[in-house]
Amino acid sequence: MKLLLVEDDAPLAAEIAKALRGENFALDHAANGEDAQHLGETETYDAVVLDLGLPKRDGLSVLQAWRAAGRTVPVLVLTARDGWSDKVAGFKAGADDFLVKPFRVEELVIRLRALVRRATAHGASRVTCGPLTYESGLGTFERDGLPLKLTGLEWRVLSCLILHKDGVMPRGQLIERVYDGDADVDSNSVEVIITRLRRKIAPARIEGVRGHGYRLLPGEPT
Amino acid sequence: MNRTEPPAGRPGTAGHGPPAKPESPAKPERPDRPVPPPKPIGVLHLGSLQRRLLLAALALVTVALLVAGLAIGLVLHRFVRAQLDSRLDSQLVALASSLERGPGDRLRLDRALDGPPFDRPHSGWYWQVRQGGSTLRSESLEGESLEARSLRLPDPPAMGGPTQDGAEPAPLPRNRDPDRPQPGDGTGPWGEALILRIQVLPARGGTPPVVLVASAPAQALNGPLREAGLTLAAILGILGLCLVAGTVLQVRLGLRPLERLRRDIAEVRAGRRPRIPGQQPAEIRPLVSEVNALLDQNATNLERARTHVANLAHGLKTPLATLSLALSDRTRDPDGRLAELVGAMDRQVRHHLRRARAAALGGATRTRTELAGPLADLRTTFGRLYAEKHLAIALDLPAGLAVACDPQDIDEMLGNLIDNACQWSHGRVRVSAAATEAGIAVTVADDGPGLDAEAAERAVRPGGRLDESVPGHGFGLSITRELAELYGGGLRLTRSDLGGLSAQLLLPP
Repeated sequence: MKLLLVEDDAPLAAEIAKALRGENFALDHAANGEDAQHLGETETYDAVVLDLGLPKRDGLSVLQAWRAAGRTVPVLVLTARDGWSDKVAGFKAGADDFLVKPFRVEELVIRLRALVRRATAHGASRVTCGPLTYESGLGTFERDGLPLKLTGLEWRVLSCLILHKDGVMPRGQLIERVYDGDADVDSNSVEVIITRLRRKIAPARIEGVRGHGYRLLPGEPT
Repeated sequence: MNRTEPPAGRPGTAGHGPPAKPESPAKPERPDRPVPPPKPIGVLHLGSLQRRLLLAALALVTVALLVAGLAIGLVLHRFVRAQLDSRLDSQLVALASSLERGPGDRLRLDRALDGPPFDRPHSGWYWQVRQGGSTLRSESLEGESLEARSLRLPDPPAMGGPTQDGAEPAPLPRNRDPDRPQPGDGTGPWGEALILRIQVLPARGGTPPVVLVASAPAQALNGPLREAGLTLAAILGILGLCLVAGTVLQVRLGLRPLERLRRDIAEVRAGRRPRIPGQQPAEIRPLVSEVNALLDQNATNLERARTHVANLAHGLKTPLATLSLALSDRTRDPDGRLAELVGAMDRQVRHHLRRARAAALGGATRTRTELAGPLADLRTTFGRLYAEKHLAIALDLPAGLAVACDPQDIDEMLGNLIDNACQWSHGRVRVSAAATEAGIAVTVADDGPGLDAEAAERAVRPGGRLDESVPGHGFGLSITRELAELYGGGLRLTRSDLGGLSAQLLLPP
């Protein structure tokens, strides 16, 4: 899963980025409103963490611009203002969730995973595909009730596939959502990751759709 | 008590040091201290403008009527006196023209002049003619002499000289015009007060001067005057009453714009108007524009205070957030004590920022806000904030229901209540509002565990915090109560029919 982090305060941005990468999220960072708006309109993200007090362009107007342009990406607003009026204004501008500074990493991560899951039309916090279960609150996978050990990249690919299990995930989109700037793409190509995943999740399987992308299926082909 | 200060303002020089010291804390008036405004003295400084104006008008009317009464009385007196004088004078003229010398050089009249009222004894209408030793008098005198009693007419040659009994004679007025009779006052033979006219015919050809006196009773002057005086007093009294009634009417009419201004200001205070309307009498318009300027200034100050608070919040909380995230790394904060400190700092900052916001409110500007809009927005907000709980938030309020509160404060108060309800609810939250006699009652009910009486009391205590473990919550109820009380409303916690807590917020209509 890939996020856009919009935060102008460099130390805070660094801490958030470190914490989110530690939770297997891929991450892009924008430090001002103009960059944020550009990235949000051109790239594909599973969710956005948006600070409201931004240089060049206010966070709320960036959010309104995205919504006006038809971008439905879930947005979690970060703000120092904890008045309900500020929150109401944020939700009216199109925010999906709100977090007041200071906050705990756990809360941010839980809320982000829930946002991504709900955005892909999964109401319950557990998403199941055959023997595989994704617990979005904890961000963990189980196979037949046993915890599944995954690397960060494997987690990104599998969470992406299970949340979009009802359709084919295009390869380009998958790549966009898996890698961020500092990943070693060559030794960890999507094909390599998929191969490793297939071994770990059997009997569930990942079907390659030629010329298009990948699809997660619950069991053996019939 | 009666100690007088040295006038030159040198309190130290008069006495010796130590005895003066104990009195210095009392601080007697010193010339260099600011002079307090003069104490209001007398009725004109009493609290009511109306009374002030009425008392002033009453005093002026009274003085004017008294002066008018005295002036008219004086004119009347002179008029009646002139009438009497001319009557007496014509009697004197008749007497002088009919005087003749009889046998033995005695005076006599060539015809009878005792026509009415000079023929009625004791009437006060008398006349008397005297030359040397011989005297003629009217029948009404019945032989008594005008000078036999208190009235003394001096012998013309010895005018001003002592009479037989040694008493000073009533001085005759200096005669500027010898042909005209002179006025005088006196007492008749029977003690009646008299008005006199006296004429002296000068000596001629060896004969002594002739003194002619005619009198009228003082009653003839005072009777008509008293009668006229009574009528005059009655007329002036009625005039005075009319003037005072007119003044009352004028004052009432004149002060009516003030009463209207009071109602306008009350409307502003209740939030039904943003400003005081400009169509006012010219005298009140400057006052209105001053009050409006004050309102604007208050609004500006409020806005500035809020911006300031928001900036402060941002400035403090971003570093706190960084610190909190940095400490989530267990190697930096192995026992979690530092994270606890960050939490405590955050709670303090939050608490005081909210206090500052509430203080910035101060009940200054109130706008009329319809509840439907903010409540719909809050429902959307909490629907998303508690999306994981799949809460059903029901709204039940009549259309057009409005309260006299700042929209931000409505968000704050209702946001806290609904947040609390959502946090504890198992699935249902209901927000209802209705107009009651005491104001607009907004009730937020949930189906959560609810609160017992003691916990409810603790929750709304100033700075009260029911649940220390849930971050970011807890001050809500007490802050809401404080805000509501600033608006003259209140917060009441009871058990709801849904099973959980019911928080009833009372706000001004």
